[in-house]
Amino acid sequence: MATKQKLFMDACKKKFKEEPTDISTKYYCFGGWKQSKSKVEFQKTAEAIAKKRGIPMLNEDIGVPLGQRSWMPYQLSHTDIYAEADDLHCVNNTAIQQAWDDIRRTVLVGLDSPHQTIERRLGKEVTPETINAYLETVNHTMPGGAVVQEHMAEINPALAYDSYVKVYSGDDELIDEIDPRFVIDINKLFPKDQAEQLKKAIGKTLMQAVRVPTICGRIMDGATTSRHAAMQISMAFISSYKLAAGEAAIADFAYSAKHLSINMGTMMPARRARGPNEPGGIPFGFMADMAQSDRVHPDDPGRAALEAVALGAAVFDQVYLGGYMSGGVGFTQYATAAYTDNILEDYVYYAIDQIKSKYGGFCKLDPKDLDKLMKLGDDINAYALEMYERYPAIMEAHFGGSQRATVSAAATGVAGAMATGVADCGLNCWYLSMLQHKERTGRLGFYGFDLQDQCGSANSFAYRSDEGLPMEVRGPNYPNYAMNVGHLSGYTGIPKAAHAARGDAWTANPFVRVAFADPALVFDFANVTKEIGRGALREFQPAGERSAVIKG
Amino acid sequence: MAYKRQFYPGNSVPAKNRRRYMDPKVKLKKLRDVPMDDVVRIMGHRNPGEDYKSIHPPIEEGKEPECPIRKLVVPIEGAKHGDRVRYIQFTDSVYFAPISPYQRAWMYLSRYRGVDTGTLSGRQIIEVRERNLEIMAKEMIDNETFDPALTGIRGATVHGHACRLDENGLMFDGWQRYQWDAKKKEVVYVKDQVAIPLDRKISVGKPAAAADLKKRTTIFRADGVDMRDDKEVTMYGLRIHKLRTLGGYQPWAFKE
Repeated sequence: MATKQKLFMDACKKKFKEEPTDISTKYYCFGGWKQSKSKVEFQKTAEAIAKKRGIPMLNEDIGVPLGQRSWMPYQLSHTDIYAEADDLHCVNNTAIQQAWDDIRRTVLVGLDSPHQTIERRLGKEVTPETINAYLETVNHTMPGGAVVQEHMAEINPALAYDSYVKVYSGDDELIDEIDPRFVIDINKLFPKDQAEQLKKAIGKTLMQAVRVPTICGRIMDGATTSRHAAMQISMAFISSYKLAAGEAAIADFAYSAKHLSINMGTMMPARRARGPNEPGGIPFGFMADMAQSDRVHPDDPGRAALEAVALGAAVFDQVYLGGYMSGGVGFTQYATAAYTDNILEDYVYYAIDQIKSKYGGFCKLDPKDLDKLMKLGDDINAYALEMYERYPAIMEAHFGGSQRATVSAAATGVAGAMATGVADCGLNCWYLSMLQHKERTGRLGFYGFDLQDQCGSANSFAYRSDEGLPMEVRGPNYPNYAMNVGHLSGYTGIPKAAHAARGDAWTANPFVRVAFADPALVFDFANVTKEIGRGALREFQPAGERSAVIKG
Repeated sequence: MAYKRQFYPGNSVPAKNRRRYMDPKVKLKKLRDVPMDDVVRIMGHRNPGEDYKSIHPPIEEGKEPECPIRKLVVPIEGAKHGDRVRYIQFTDSVYFAPISPYQRAWMYLSRYRGVDTGTLSGRQIIEVRERNLEIMAKEMIDNETFDPALTGIRGATVHGHACRLDENGLMFDGWQRYQWDAKKKEVVYVKDQVAIPLDRKISVGKPAAAADLKKRTTIFRADGVDMRDDKEVTMYGLRIHKLRTLGGYQPWAFKE
């Protein structure tokens, strides 16, 4: 067992006054909810609202007496930020909302097909100059500007300052000719080896990263993104290439924008009641590509996996399952366990040490050697569970078994993925962790959670479409994952871990990868926990606010 | 040859306890005798002496449809009388509580008929017809699977199983349904399962010593018996995972 300083120690000492190894403490003597600054604030606010509206509101004295234990803050992992749990709730945290907003308002629309239409069908020339003119026009239309009809209502730019269109390509010569204000520069944003991989994969395709206004996604839903983009792109083509608004070729622009585009999420079945570009349709590999840690910290695959876990926790578990599956409150503590207090951090870096010292390093374990893979999984899972047993402080920090199950399985899954370079091996280790966890402790998570985790070994390598998929393209709507609250964080981290360990520049899609490297995004996808922490400290400035059209 | 139930692998103390608790032929040790009326009070479904509420007429009075399964299955007493289905729910501390949620489910299903169990990380609910429930509940509170300090009887607000213990060694309970009686050195319930105050305190006895709990527990822990020190339990866990993995992928590859 590793003896070096545990990464969760600082958080433990901040949370509890006792030693992290102490089993005993005091309860029922801390003044209840009044220990919490945010609860005091909430109570005061609610009292004022109740008085004003004449209807009772939040009352911290209703229900179970809160604050019977010492109120504990949460450290945003690999940052120095501590926050109250309330400030990590997705309704209270503008950074979490913006992470989701930035994903939902993105659609990737290729320019190759429209350029072919212009050149071959209409006989007009497409040059870097015309592309620049188009980009200037589309950056007028996308936030809500009109170009074709003379008497047109437009969107107030103060509401849509976050909306724009940029392009990128693997063709350096073409990119050199494009106005840099409109370019996501792969060479500047990625380490050289990653840039070369990405450019090779993207080739000469010229791709647009379209960001519709955050406020549009909030008013409508993710399905509006490609429609908003298609309309405004078509208008920009008409204007910049001087086309006839009614000619049949224009339909090709709209068609390509709607149907040859890459949505961040695929449409979900009607029973889920969500259109395209909603979180339930985002493959884990796409979410892993959105997380950008390995772009700025290429030598730290551990951080890459952990940041992907954090993004998955916030968007999939808190925003999506927290709303679609449950609603109300309750998922915050569950999901945030994966990205607070450096507990998963400790387990993941322990796993990395073990992979390097006992398994030959990253990607050296033969993925076909199931016995050795299981040995690794057993080692990492035993370490994770032992830490909970040796340090009652972290056992109490993760006071729900579902938290411990997710975090232990995530560490074990990340280990399997990094050791082999294969995400499905990581997934197999996830399920090994779940079975062993239940057997060791006699407990795991909650009913529905347990069912799925106890049958998952059998589908971890299945590629038949009704039974399984490569982990990179599974997603929250994969049959057994639709109720797996808390798991979707780990499921995002596992494919990321495999590809980060391999030194791959992307996990599932190079176009998605580059699109989220864009520094013009409101949320910084290279520093997920830090951004969520800024949200918790109420320092994060989100887009999509309506104050520009509210007097006073 | 008739199949002989083996219940659970392993030779460690937790593994043996798992077998013992599951095996209906093993009579569990009775460590206390909480009066039935007090068990009824703690559960809070009815007042002692009050009639059982029924949700259907006694089966004998009803007209049951012709059904071979109904002929095969003898109804339990509560079902015969049309009792409501009610529950008792136990929370088991990670700190060497005698039993933990999964073993509870296995034990209940092995020892009783007509029960519906639900297993979570900290708590285990068992639902059954009311008059049968009361008999079961008393058995479970009186026997060796219950410890006054580390086992909680909780309908709602159940968390606490993973929290550290208070200065008297009691598991945390947000509702403080039970308290430490320093004079008698016993645990007393002052609220029922859903935290409605009781008319009087109900003693459930003295907590066991740590050494005793380690002999009774079913929980593998690094500071007790580590699961990996029980080779047979570990081997079976790995084997199940391997069989399931290969069974879902390439069953022909498994040669053992």
